[in-house]
Amino acid sequence: MLKRVMSRISSYGSLLFFVLISLYPLVWLLFYSFKNNEEIFSTNVFGVPHVWRFENYVNAFDVFDLVLYFKNSFIVSIGTVAITVFLSLMFSYAAARMKWRFADTARIYMTAGMFIPMQIILIPLLVLSRDLHLQDSYLAVIVPYVAFQLSFSTIIFYAFFRSLPFEIEESASIDGASVYRTFFSIMVPLVKPAIASVCIFVFLFAWNEFLVALVMISDNMLKTLPLGLLYFQTQFGSDWGTMGAVMVISTIPTIIIYLLFSEQIEKALTVSSAVKG
Amino acid sequence: MTSKQKYRVALFVFTAPTLLFFSIMVVYPILQTFQKSFFNWDGLTPATFNGLDNFRRLFQDDDFWVSLKNGLIFALVLVVYQLGLGTVLAIALSNKKIFGRKFFKTTYFIPVVLSSVVVSQLFIAIYNTDGGLVNSLFTALGINYQQAWLSGEHSSIWAIAFTNAWQNLGVHLVLIYAAIKSIPEQLYEAATIDGASFWRTHWKITIPLLGETYKFCLIMAITGGLNAFQNMFVMTNGGPGNISYTFTFMMYKAAFRSGEYGYGSAAAAFLVIECLLFTILINKFVAREKISY
Repeated sequence: MLKRVMSRISSYGSLLFFVLISLYPLVWLLFYSFKNNEEIFSTNVFGVPHVWRFENYVNAFDVFDLVLYFKNSFIVSIGTVAITVFLSLMFSYAAARMKWRFADTARIYMTAGMFIPMQIILIPLLVLSRDLHLQDSYLAVIVPYVAFQLSFSTIIFYAFFRSLPFEIEESASIDGASVYRTFFSIMVPLVKPAIASVCIFVFLFAWNEFLVALVMISDNMLKTLPLGLLYFQTQFGSDWGTMGAVMVISTIPTIIIYLLFSEQIEKALTVSSAVKG
Repeated sequence: MTSKQKYRVALFVFTAPTLLFFSIMVVYPILQTFQKSFFNWDGLTPATFNGLDNFRRLFQDDDFWVSLKNGLIFALVLVVYQLGLGTVLAIALSNKKIFGRKFFKTTYFIPVVLSSVVVSQLFIAIYNTDGGLVNSLFTALGINYQQAWLSGEHSSIWAIAFTNAWQNLGVHLVLIYAAIKSIPEQLYEAATIDGASFWRTHWKITIPLLGETYKFCLIMAITGGLNAFQNMFVMTNGGPGNISYTFTFMMYKAAFRSGEYGYGSAAAAFLVIECLLFTILINKFVAREKISY
């Protein structure tokens, strides 16, 4: 009995300790976004701000072009999500439900992208986007983002399409529905949960991505949020409080999305790891 | 059109755009990277073949050896922290008598959804030499271990790797937790009847049965470590000197700062080979047979 109580206490203890490790840095960020440099680094390192300096947030909106970066990130993310979902949904349907000789080969070919690190193709990608005149447009990042998210979303959609009974198509074709009609009116609505998962995942990826954006975007008017943050750090890096405010504001959307859709995100993650190769 | 022809057309409509897009934007550039690693190329004028010169130069470059070492350290930190700690936390969470499981899981996952630029900038402040969180903590505890974490020759790569490990622990935790949940209950009941202790049960049952999940997590953690770039780019810019260099950083610098696209491609090609080698080794030694229960 005592042993069991002890093991419960040690379980809770370690779980709670790790809550502290995961959350405290973020709480600390929230705190310091209301502090000035002196309070952050010497007079009040750990705790709640003595004086809540809301002017950091006012400054953030003044000196940092939040609206522009938000708009750019939003356009890029939505564009990436729309194209990725459209392409991979159609492909996965064909790979999972239609009869053709190379179905498996084509699927494995597509999913291999999961294991290819994206930075290794950065150099040819830049040259390619120059040749295709994509540079200095949103497409310069949307196109590579889609390319990289196709494998992941194909895996998810494939797994979902596979789990549906095959009689659906049979009865649809007896009723005289074409392949396209079956796909759009019957199959797509059936995999809505998977579509939601993929949308959120791809959106978060595109919202946070940084390396491809760094290489592809030089025009300040097209910079996404992570690039804006980087630029801000080099320009105003010594004003930690304002920097903190900018970071908090740019983080809020992703945390809200996660809190609303955490189950879909976890589900997508486990499905993608289970259906590999 | 006959129905067979219609079916063929539909198949083409469904698959061709995706296959074409993927081939042009992913597969073709990979081949290009390998091909261009044998060329002297500035990205603008036609490339000239120079055989293995890029690779010879790579092996003589000090940055190369630092990058190799840093990649391996980074991978090691990710594996120990994400798989080791991830397993312990997942096991503790899977205990039926624990309340607030959803709260714990959600909390651990929150850092994953943050931008790595934000996390890196946050950790610059945390590692700050004067009054950063880590050094202040040591002062508060009365331990005399304050350091210049990010510019110290021995601490830099560990500090950067920890940042990444901290951010992405949630991914591995969720995967391991889901795998534990799918292990049939009878196995644990049998172990309890035989009188096995809590940790012994997990050591003998849970961990061996997680083979497939570990394989996936190991590949993700190791290749992720070898590929590391974003954290060092934001936190130290590779420096001071070359102490926080990585292959991706070498590639980035060669191609986009010095205009040596061929040399950069060679660094990238080496990186692929390195990742591939580890993936093959993991596939060979971890969970070789499909686990069934």
